[in-house]
Amino acid sequence: MADPKKPRAPFAPWDRRELPGTFTVEESARRVGHYKWIEMRLFEVLGGWVATVPELDVKLRLGTHCYHHAWHAELWHKRLPELREMNPERLTAPPNDALVAFVDAMTEPEAPELTIEKLVGAYRVLAPAKIAAYTYHLNNTSRITDAPTIRSLGFILQDEMDDWRDGEMMLQSLIETEDELQRAIDHQTKLQRLLLAAGGIAGPGTIGESYITEEETHA
Amino acid sequence: MRKSFPVEDLARDERFVRVPIMDRINDPRTARQEQAGTKGKRGPGRLTPDRPDAPDAARALMHGIFTGEIQALEGAGRTCWDFEVGSGNGEGIPEVPFELKLDMARQCWDEARHCEISIKLSDHMGTEIGEFSENTFLYEAACNPDPVLRLTGVNRALEGLAIDVFNTMREFGDVAGDAVLEFCEDWMLADEVTHVKMGSDWLRRLTADDKERQQRALEFQRVVDKLFSLGGFRGDEEDSPVRLARRFRELAGFKDDEMDTLAEVAREARQEMDARIEANRAAVAQ
Repeated sequence: MADPKKPRAPFAPWDRRELPGTFTVEESARRVGHYKWIEMRLFEVLGGWVATVPELDVKLRLGTHCYHHAWHAELWHKRLPELREMNPERLTAPPNDALVAFVDAMTEPEAPELTIEKLVGAYRVLAPAKIAAYTYHLNNTSRITDAPTIRSLGFILQDEMDDWRDGEMMLQSLIETEDELQRAIDHQTKLQRLLLAAGGIAGPGTIGESYITEEETHA
Repeated sequence: MRKSFPVEDLARDERFVRVPIMDRINDPRTARQEQAGTKGKRGPGRLTPDRPDAPDAARALMHGIFTGEIQALEGAGRTCWDFEVGSGNGEGIPEVPFELKLDMARQCWDEARHCEISIKLSDHMGTEIGEFSENTFLYEAACNPDPVLRLTGVNRALEGLAIDVFNTMREFGDVAGDAVLEFCEDWMLADEVTHVKMGSDWLRRLTADDKERQQRALEFQRVVDKLFSLGGFRGDEEDSPVRLARRFRELAGFKDDEMDTLAEVAREARQEMDARIEANRAAVAQ
């Protein structure tokens, strides 16, 4: 080791973290509140569905995934006061009524023969939407100022990817006929329309804005 | 999806066969399997490897654990869905604290693992899913519309029974030299102590300012405990097939007087069963 008193750079050559990030404290709190709201709706319905699905493997996976999303909700619940929201319930809300309509439609199936519809809602529509929203947040917030959120996002995204894969594989194993395939497609389309109207799990701008504005074009 | 899901609608595949609990309790063949030369003596007694029927009795008990775990999973899951988050003062759908729901979600994961463990252990013991019947009395305790009563019935009565059963199976595995069984039961026992403690803690917290509700919850627990004593199958007697696991119940927040009461409840259930059997005998003799 060289002389311990010799000055070193505070950021190592391989540490490329930068300031600032895309989100203000307020915007970050708003998004985190929406995340908590959707995670709560998801763990509640997965728990409720356990009793309604006859397929034993699906029943057990739903029970496991129920806890994953409850834990995500707990992480976001604890993050809110750290983002200056001392009443976490105030921001634990959907971004708009359209997302409520989406959740209502996603949680509607109950009958034992509707396992495909239940899984399509949770794993083909909501899971990818959450992965997209969390990834956008992860890649745009400051890795220095918002490190606690990033740490939670890392754990949560790992769960989301694993659970999405589980859900997709369960669906592929359940869909055996043209009719079942059509049911999955129809239900996915119905829910995707509702989610489109909501603009994503955090409302419009959930994954940023991809199109260049008129002003930017002529700047 | 509805709030509150009736027991008749619990979803199962075609391997499962349901038998009402009262049919089992009222069936003198399962309540008292008299063996030659022991007429009048209660049997079959404690589950030990030297019993002639030990392998079948252990397999039947393991299958019962498996179906019980499914219902415990379903009950915890329904508690996540059936109630709204709030202070408990609202109108309409009963409200529960956010943290209570988190506990129930955690319990879902634990019970799902217990199902997996039970399936693997059943296979290890030579049992197929559906080989024994299922009764749904565990889930029925999880249908109470009052969240405090539901948690007391499920987490203190039902999960308390699980402590007794897992401890019995753990000891059976130890004496029988089945290290796999003993290992798995010990892990599940640790989870159950946690679940019972959850029930004890939430009962205390949610009824701190409502002693009348607390009494109703404890009364409901007493009813469920009596039912779960299965006519003396679970009790504090030397020959009870499943014995009260006092040490582990204490870890889970049970006080001595509560366990004494439970032992008394179990004795009552046993005496009632004995009386029922005598009545059956008399009816057959006529």
